[in-house]
Amino acid sequence: MGYTIAEKILAAHSGGAPVRAGEVVVADVDFAMMHDARAGNAMKMAAKLGVKGLPFAKRTALVMDHYSPPPHIEAANTHKDMRAFAEATGAQLYDVGDGICHQVMPEGGHLTAGDLIVGTDTHSVTYGAFNALGTGVEGTDVAAVMMTGKLWFRVPETIRIELKGRLQPGVWAKDVTLHMLGRLGAEGANYRALEYVGSGVSAMDIDDRMTLSNHAAELGAKAALLEADEKTIAWLQAHKARPPKPVKADADAIYVERIEIDTANLVPQVARQHHIDDVVGVPEVRGKKIHFALIGTCTNGRLDDIRQAAAILKGQRIAKGVRMIITPASREIYLAAAREGLIEALTRAGASFEAAGCGTCVNVTGHLITGDGDVAISSANRNFKGRLGNDKSEIWVGSAATVAASALTGLITDPREVDGGQWRAA
Amino acid sequence: MENIIKGRARLLGDNINTDTNCSSKYLPGKDNAYVAQHAFEKVAPAFIGNFKSGDIIVAGKNFGNNSSREQAVHVMHLMGVAALVSHSFGRQFFRNTINNGLPAFECAIDGIVDGDEIEIDVAAGKVMVTARGIQRSVPVLPPAVRAILAEGGLIKFLQKYPDWKAA
Repeated sequence: MGYTIAEKILAAHSGGAPVRAGEVVVADVDFAMMHDARAGNAMKMAAKLGVKGLPFAKRTALVMDHYSPPPHIEAANTHKDMRAFAEATGAQLYDVGDGICHQVMPEGGHLTAGDLIVGTDTHSVTYGAFNALGTGVEGTDVAAVMMTGKLWFRVPETIRIELKGRLQPGVWAKDVTLHMLGRLGAEGANYRALEYVGSGVSAMDIDDRMTLSNHAAELGAKAALLEADEKTIAWLQAHKARPPKPVKADADAIYVERIEIDTANLVPQVARQHHIDDVVGVPEVRGKKIHFALIGTCTNGRLDDIRQAAAILKGQRIAKGVRMIITPASREIYLAAAREGLIEALTRAGASFEAAGCGTCVNVTGHLITGDGDVAISSANRNFKGRLGNDKSEIWVGSAATVAASALTGLITDPREVDGGQWRAA
Repeated sequence: MENIIKGRARLLGDNINTDTNCSSKYLPGKDNAYVAQHAFEKVAPAFIGNFKSGDIIVAGKNFGNNSSREQAVHVMHLMGVAALVSHSFGRQFFRNTINNGLPAFECAIDGIVDGDEIEIDVAAGKVMVTARGIQRSVPVLPPAVRAILAEGGLIKFLQKYPDWKAA
């Protein structure tokens, strides 16, 4: 019997002999990442190791994204420590406003197809969009990698998910992941790797593929792997990544489950308040009043998301009584959006832009606080009660297009029903 | 790690997020000692007042779900948690228990009552509540993982085996 992508990547990084799901391996890690919410702990753990020098720190990125800009002295001091640590060890540093870790890692050329990558964040599964096994770990793990270049992994079982057919205009990868969450439940893929295959994946551009892998974190997935195709290779080369080593699953690989999704006929999806797996089609809840619209985060703060919003809101004005915040996932995206005139179009439409970072995801900056009874619609990945700073408000989650269409009308709106809502990248 | 772990069962419910309930994620500036005095009080108000060093946390399904912080394990060490038994664990949290030397066992918990004397045979993979006639098998951890646990976590393991040789 053959092997899955996860089994092959972990085998290739632990001596080359085949490994099966359930085994534990000590594997060579190609690159590691720590962000400012966990870097304090990671640096503390690295100090505890008590070794002279961290030879693999050069293959580590330190990213200031959660506290961008820092809202309290503790965060500002962590940033000082991160800058000093990077200076001392040669680690790569991304400062306030450079972007979200999961965006700057691929943009910075730090990963390539076939890689094994760890980061101190559950959404490190994003790197699977590039055929790299990315997974979330903690400070101790990154400290171990900086010292030894290696880490222990349990080889995960894999669920194969086939997306059958190109998504309709106005329907996006976020709608696929929300559909999956409704189907499997939050943590429904706990410990598992996912492999996404099929014509629905091939048709997606890189931004949407990153959403597909990224949002697997809410399923509890350990990795969410796509194959590398021409689009992947071209993107990696454009970002000066190391030479790709694409890994495909064998036709007779062993899967714990096979799922098919009729992506050709999927409609926009939305998660209702408090639970990311309480998912319904947007047509079922259209007309619900909203007060706050947010576009951003590592899930949907990319250029295509901002383009979706601009396609809907250009020359228009968001509904009276609605406020809107957009946070680009990186400085590069911010600049590209400016070049395309999207910042101006959306600012004229009533949106406010904030510094690149995790700002629209959770209320660490203090900018997201909602009033009692307010309803927010967000392109983020999670909607736990109180995540925007008020237990008495609601957070609904959808694609950037659904958020923009809802901002336009002030009501939860199917993007396919508004001008520009059927926009798709050429 | 002792081969036989004995202690009093202290029950918690399903889907408990350890970032929210056992870390300073939402308590900036508070240290582990403060968190340890207030751990789980939002989901189980009487829990922490009755908890004694050497007790075993017996939790419902998905303990540590959506939780990434290993600080939760550091806090549990400070509380004196001897072991964890849960129907299932969040992936990252489970990894953190190993990396920080806290034995954690996946096991059905039905029939176990708060305050029961519970015994875990690590090598044999057994969880027992003799007074209730409960004896359940738990998956024996792979040797590489047991080696890390045996040293009290990954940092101590790498101090002793910087080349990972014992894993």
